[in-house]
Amino acid sequence: MDLVAKFLLPLFPLVTSVTSSLIVNPEFRRTSVVGLLYLSVMNQHKTVSTSTLDVPGNTPTPRYFGREKSRTKSDKLFSGSIIVAALSSLVILTAILLYLGSNSWPVLVEQGFSFITGSEWSTTDGVEIFQIWPMLYGTFLNAIIGLVIAIPVSVFLALFIVFLAPKNLSKVLTVVIDILAAIPSGIIGLWGFLVFTDTAAKWGQLLNQYLGWIPLFANDQEQFARSPFIAGWVLAIMIIPIITVVSREVLAQTPQELLDAARGLGGSLSGAIKMVALPHARGGIVGGVMLGLGRALGETIAIFFVLNLIFDVNIYKILNPEGGAIASMIVAKFGEATPNEINALLGAGLILFIMTLFVNLAANYIVKRSQREKLA
Amino acid sequence: MTITLDKPINSIKPPKPWAKRNKSTVVNNAIAVILPTVVLGILFFTTEIPGPVLVVVVFFPLQLLTAGVTSFMDKGKRGIGDSLLSVGCVSAFGLVVALLGSVVLSVIARGLPAMKFNFLFQNNIYISPTTELTYGGIGHALLGTLLVVFIASIIAVPLGIASAIYITDIKGRAAGFVRFMVQAMSGVPSIVAGLFIFAAIILTDVVGFSAIAGGLAYAILMLPTVARTAEEVLRLVPKEVRDAAVALGSSRARVTMRIVLPTAKTGLITAVVLGVARIIGETAPLLLTTSNANNTNLNPFRDPVSTIPVYIFQYLGSGYQTSIQRAWGAALVLLLAVTILFALTRYLSRNKKGNV
Amino acid sequence: MTMDATRIASTTNVDMEATGVRVPNTPQDAHPRNPEDANVHLETKDVHIWFGQRLIIEKVNLSFPENSVTALIGPSGCGKSTFIRTLNRMHEFIPGAALAGQILYDGQDIYDAQVDPVDIRVQIGMVFQKPNPFPTMSIKENVLSGLHLAQIKYENPDEIVRNCLERASLWTEVKDRLNASASSLSGGQQQRLCIARSLAVNPKVLLMDEPCSALDPGSTRRIEGTIKELSQEMTIVIVTHNMAQAQRVSDYTAFFLAEEGAPAQVVESGRTDEIFMRPKDPRTNDYVNGLFG
Repeated sequence: MDLVAKFLLPLFPLVTSVTSSLIVNPEFRRTSVVGLLYLSVMNQHKTVSTSTLDVPGNTPTPRYFGREKSRTKSDKLFSGSIIVAALSSLVILTAILLYLGSNSWPVLVEQGFSFITGSEWSTTDGVEIFQIWPMLYGTFLNAIIGLVIAIPVSVFLALFIVFLAPKNLSKVLTVVIDILAAIPSGIIGLWGFLVFTDTAAKWGQLLNQYLGWIPLFANDQEQFARSPFIAGWVLAIMIIPIITVVSREVLAQTPQELLDAARGLGGSLSGAIKMVALPHARGGIVGGVMLGLGRALGETIAIFFVLNLIFDVNIYKILNPEGGAIASMIVAKFGEATPNEINALLGAGLILFIMTLFVNLAANYIVKRSQREKLA
Repeated sequence: MTITLDKPINSIKPPKPWAKRNKSTVVNNAIAVILPTVVLGILFFTTEIPGPVLVVVVFFPLQLLTAGVTSFMDKGKRGIGDSLLSVGCVSAFGLVVALLGSVVLSVIARGLPAMKFNFLFQNNIYISPTTELTYGGIGHALLGTLLVVFIASIIAVPLGIASAIYITDIKGRAAGFVRFMVQAMSGVPSIVAGLFIFAAIILTDVVGFSAIAGGLAYAILMLPTVARTAEEVLRLVPKEVRDAAVALGSSRARVTMRIVLPTAKTGLITAVVLGVARIIGETAPLLLTTSNANNTNLNPFRDPVSTIPVYIFQYLGSGYQTSIQRAWGAALVLLLAVTILFALTRYLSRNKKGNV
Repeated sequence: MTMDATRIASTTNVDMEATGVRVPNTPQDAHPRNPEDANVHLETKDVHIWFGQRLIIEKVNLSFPENSVTALIGPSGCGKSTFIRTLNRMHEFIPGAALAGQILYDGQDIYDAQVDPVDIRVQIGMVFQKPNPFPTMSIKENVLSGLHLAQIKYENPDEIVRNCLERASLWTEVKDRLNASASSLSGGQQQRLCIARSLAVNPKVLLMDEPCSALDPGSTRRIEGTIKELSQEMTIVIVTHNMAQAQRVSDYTAFFLAEEGAPAQVVESGRTDEIFMRPKDPRTNDYVNGLFG
């Protein structure tokens, strides 16, 4: 039997795979069912006849199985279509970059670098100047004001839901906050313009009245509505639920054993939160903040009626009714845009896209890294 | 403190000795809360200082101070952190309730008067900005929204679920890459999606402003949500289920289509519903793709279509009282739609045996 | 029968001398037959414990003598871990928890309304079943974390760190990498770090809830040695499933048992050698001889 095994059996897989592959499929296959079966027999055979313990250094070489390859036609069709569909996101992303880029390229080249650095937008007298610096700056200014308000409020709210609120209230709040995060921006914009602006303008006026000596709160227009301050508040209201939802999720996942250890050592609740829960949740909270930032940068409608777009960059006078936001500008100018103007708007959209893409990827990276640190 | 156990053990209520509060602590806490409120009230009514200023400058710092002092008296240095935490948390809670509550309440209060039968079913062909609310409505906008969302779903749902299958089931070499792409796609601002579709098919004269353009723009926004949720859901399908099917000799396609997907059925439906909730209020992409209309248009390939978010935008911008009321009415309908969708997801994800 | 070095050495595989732990001879008189006769820091009087409406432990009357180790043994699920958490007021964190009776520390009921639970937890420390060092902190920071949490002022942090790590038998292994992350230690080392962390706030009592059950036998023996050493200066209460460990490590033992559907009780308690060699209750006899549990 040994001799048969040693000399005839090795021929078997070659024969079977060649024949089976020729019959089933024109491609040449390296494995086949019979071949696999043969191999398992061969290996068994080997270990029975030679004890690897007796012969040092004679461990059998492992045979690795490749990824399970699709064998039948329906399988190949299935895998194929799934793969094609899955790559659709790549296709779409590339297409966005391509279409926006190619359409706006001529205009961008024509405008040159001042597209991003200049502050004029006009189509009068056949001279077309498109420059979006005030809008770019304004977008960030609004987002930062929004974040300054939203981050502490969201984190405290999340801490409240996870650690301080009674269990029933906690559950209710978790559900409610989820729904609030889904309130469409159009509704927030409606409310922001019709209900909130008056109150917020009054706040701005008070800030100016009592703290106007600080340049930040200076106002030289006697008018407080439609300022970056108000836009920032509206953005904050939009992103507070987003940051709260993410923070609540990570804080709720703080390992109970660590909290127990902190309490057992004589820590108060705030001490345990400061030394255990917050460091643990730090990555997730930052991720949530960046998600909120991404949302704030791209927000169009919520601040469309709430902010007065002016092509003169307003650097720090947040109470003045002058501001910028790229997305709102695109919508504002879209209706009556000349063909070149449209291409310029596409260019602005492209820049906005690149900005939010960057923020999104940074958020991803930060969250991943903090998770890896925890597992390490 | 001793709890005397003279009654039989079963008849007494389980005691909690730690819940007993020191009398002085209770008094201290009460003072800590009442004092700032009283001061605020007095100053508000006697001086000219405006309310918001008083709250920020007087009430808040005073509240922090009294909370800190009483907890210091109670527990020494250790108590201060806790009290500051409480004040911060309750303030944040109050602020959020006030602001977001105002949003919800305004929509309900101001939208309700517009809720007449005709509002839901008529369109606005013959309506001028000042026509009374008994004429015209959002019927065309509702239908338009449904049309656009439907188009978006038939594109985004298969692609999204396929991506999820690729990542979790097939685990192809590019799985991490696909995941990354989906993640990147979820960050596309809604206006960029609109711009893209505008540039790709409207500028190139493939179609004009139409529902299908809007549907495509919506699909770009919907796909990542569906894909991510579906991925989570498919991951939850126990490995044993797949193993059982494979061990029975089923082909991969069969395993996935016949076994894995049905097991995850409710979860996948949740993914779809969440995707719809994500896109249903987005205005910006529609402004650039479906434009607006006053008539009811059900042809997805031609002519602009009215949708609820754009309806709100249109009537908000007009400035007349009746128009604004229409806008609130439409907003209320939109809010209701989102709430119903969320209620649906919660209903779907209640724990059922045997399903994911 | 005394717990001396030779006896311990003969029941373990580890050379106790090599681990650097001194195991003293404990004379018989230091551990009187009746726990109440010794100097007592901590005792419970008629303690009943509920979860919601269900009474799960009743009539616990135990004394934990000064500078000794008391083991709480009994089948799993009869509430030993729950009981030990009432001793440092961590039981109340569980929703629906309730308690009757007195737990006296130095004569004062720790559940008195005037008592700040945080003070109690500083004096009565706890080491948990699964090692739980704070992962975001280094070894040194972990040792000092208890002082920060309890807001206790300290000078000479390096001295404190060295002292605690030495008492926990961890110093020699980590003295060169005090700034390394705590997660880089092995399971046994992490548990010793947790012990060091608890020691930093200078407790008089140390509660240990199955501290070795998640560890390998080598680490287990080292920690048992640490426990014996620490018991010279503090009271230790240890919950354990391992009866051999209870015999090796403890001076006194209490046997918890819950009969069918009834609340758990302390069936018998006393000096360890008596409980294991000459148990008075037949149920104790059955348990220590491995007939159930």
